[in-house]
Amino acid sequence: MTSIGTGYDLSASTYSPDGRIFQVEYANKAVENSGTAIGLKVKDGIVLAVEKLVHSKLLVPGANRRIQTIDRHIGLAAAGLPADGRTVANRARDEAANFRETYRSPPTLKALADRLGQFVQVYTLYSSVRPFGTSTILGAVDKDGPSLYVIEPSGVFYGYHGAAVGKGRQLAKTELEKLKLSELTAREAVIEAARIIYLVHEDAKEKEFELEMSWISPETDGLHLAVPQDLFDEAETKAKEELASGFE
Amino acid sequence: MFRNTYDSDNTVFSPQGRLHQVEYALEAVKQGSAAVGLRSKTHAILLALKRSTGELASYQQKMFRIDDHVGIAIAGLTSDARVLSNFMRQQAMSSRMIFNRPVPVNRLVSAIADKAQVNTQEYGRRPYGVGFLVIGQDQSGPHLYEFSPAGNSYEYYAMSIGARSQSAKTYLEKHYKTFDDCSLEDLVRHGLHALRETLQQDKELNINNTSIGILGPAAPHEKGVSGAGSFRILDGEKVEVFLQSMVPKEPTEAPAAPAATDDDVQMEG
Amino acid sequence: MDHFPTNWGRPRNDTWDPYATYPIHQRPQNHQPKDRFAEGVQHTQQPIVTGTSVLAIKFKDGVMMAADNLASYGSLARFRDIQRLHPVGKYTVLGAGGDMSDFQYIQSILDELIVDELAAADGHTLGPKEIHNYLAEVMYSRRSNMNPLWNSLLVGGYKDGKSFLAYVDLLGTTYTASTLATGYGAYIAQPLLRRAVEGRENELTADEARKILEDSMRVLFYRDARSLDQYQIATITADGVHITESRKLETAWSFAEGIRGYGAQTQ
Repeated sequence: MTSIGTGYDLSASTYSPDGRIFQVEYANKAVENSGTAIGLKVKDGIVLAVEKLVHSKLLVPGANRRIQTIDRHIGLAAAGLPADGRTVANRARDEAANFRETYRSPPTLKALADRLGQFVQVYTLYSSVRPFGTSTILGAVDKDGPSLYVIEPSGVFYGYHGAAVGKGRQLAKTELEKLKLSELTAREAVIEAARIIYLVHEDAKEKEFELEMSWISPETDGLHLAVPQDLFDEAETKAKEELASGFE
Repeated sequence: MFRNTYDSDNTVFSPQGRLHQVEYALEAVKQGSAAVGLRSKTHAILLALKRSTGELASYQQKMFRIDDHVGIAIAGLTSDARVLSNFMRQQAMSSRMIFNRPVPVNRLVSAIADKAQVNTQEYGRRPYGVGFLVIGQDQSGPHLYEFSPAGNSYEYYAMSIGARSQSAKTYLEKHYKTFDDCSLEDLVRHGLHALRETLQQDKELNINNTSIGILGPAAPHEKGVSGAGSFRILDGEKVEVFLQSMVPKEPTEAPAAPAATDDDVQMEG
Repeated sequence: MDHFPTNWGRPRNDTWDPYATYPIHQRPQNHQPKDRFAEGVQHTQQPIVTGTSVLAIKFKDGVMMAADNLASYGSLARFRDIQRLHPVGKYTVLGAGGDMSDFQYIQSILDELIVDELAAADGHTLGPKEIHNYLAEVMYSRRSNMNPLWNSLLVGGYKDGKSFLAYVDLLGTTYTASTLATGYGAYIAQPLLRRAVEGRENELTADEARKILEDSMRVLFYRDARSLDQYQIATITADGVHITESRKLETAWSFAEGIRGYGAQTQ
């Protein structure tokens, strides 16, 4: 960050002398400050989970979601500025609807990620706008099976087996790498996802948080839905136990 | 002239990934007088402190009716509030027109939040300078939401916004667990007690400076309220009976925490 | 559009003026200059591929609806495997008569609506009442723009313990009753349905309701030349929407053998 204050970091339409676009990098900072979000692509489905930091005890638990549904078979978890996350999600819904209208078939996630990547990238080109302060994990089960993508503030998007964004992403990635994702079932993945979120939260223990999880699995009939309460409770209980036993 | 290099414009991220213009807009909300919202299983209510510019002036309007099942209280720029509440009314009407159903409250709040987000991302605009407390009622019962200029909306059991709202928040955090089973009278009393915390030292709540917005079945002494209890704003004489119900503050109590501790408004969720 | 009133009601392209009604320089020309909108803006003026009747009745547990599988091209029985009952969300079925391409368009806008509703994921869902109101708005607005969707539609559903059954057509006219029928069925089947159902909406069992619809479909197949003996039944109850596979009507045609024009001709 040696270029701070040199004037090359005030606009998305300005390169620094060494070819960087600082506004995009700063947008990434907004993402890094937020609660962790992870996505797992497994044998028979997708699991999304977020560590939702609770800024007031007056908040109604379970309301104020950070995982959203884009289409029947597509879910989105956002990290970063929540308002930006909603804007990207709204655009995703429009693109999905547009795809359906044009091709009379549900969009593949690859096609949707491509369109969203373009949308986000446009906001890195002009001084009249700022980049999105959000990284979004998109998960779907489409005609090609389960798929998982992350769209970054730069507009770049990659497919993943396991993805993590937000504050605890490094630790979460390490944990995801230990799993044999392509052999897990969605049910097993829910347990793992809860465990990882609880684990990464350890670094910010002083803040309250709420676990939020969704999935697409054989049990949901291909729909993106919240994880059913009994499975959610089981996963959360196991995550807490594991955490407690890890500090004996 | 500016506090730092990154705060002159809403299209600029600071190196820490913050949006200073948006944070300043949140300050504009704190310039307005306080509003408090809370809910029980059956009711959602709003209370607000109205200001007047002088002896010869009327008191400001702090509450707006959006539809039978939705009402708002505002803190910040009234003109921005009028634009947004007009938009909310249109949304509510179009839902009734197109689907013949009252608009789901959470969607209404999300709609203005999405509108506000645009003003945090495009050059030549400023973020809205007003915060809302929105109460609404649908199949899932009464709700309370906060909308902020950052484009966020959250659902709360109880919340306060505006000048010295931290003091009211402290009161609400202490008592919110009991609100669920409160009668309307008890709920309003809690609301007034919370609102009282935001007053300056020598001021008190009276029928001129207090507005109460109610959603839910009528209190025993309320007249002309429909069965389901659509949104109504009580001003003037009508708040008297509620003011009477307040329990006087204990004189031994330490003075309210200074407003400078109002630092809980943040962008990240 | 021909803007010469004296041309109205005559054969087009007439090159002569039999009554010599107006001066030569004003007589109709075959090659008038054509501007882009010379013909006016053309909208749908008739349906092309059509479905015939839809029948629906209320019964004890909800609503039942029936429609055959035929889409006719004029009098030609062109498509015989068309489903005219369309589920909309979890509580509603839409049955359509009239233009089948317009019906397919309506299906797509409703599907989009349902996806939007699902994506909101907030526990609020559209029931039959809301969907009917929405359709009425769409149909009325299209007809007001002189571009109607050429259908008559039945919306049946069951939500929150209440049955719902209503009609809307290409004019945006709405109507609700415990028995409804569109197309030819409005003339032939409706009286039968009324006699069988009215006053007994809360008594009829699913089996009885099915029998009533089946009998009416049979009468329609005998009398409506645009109908087919293959049809489906949709049932909407507290358990949700169920639409049967295509089934065949039992009909007897032996009586017709002696009718001239039907069987083998003897002379």
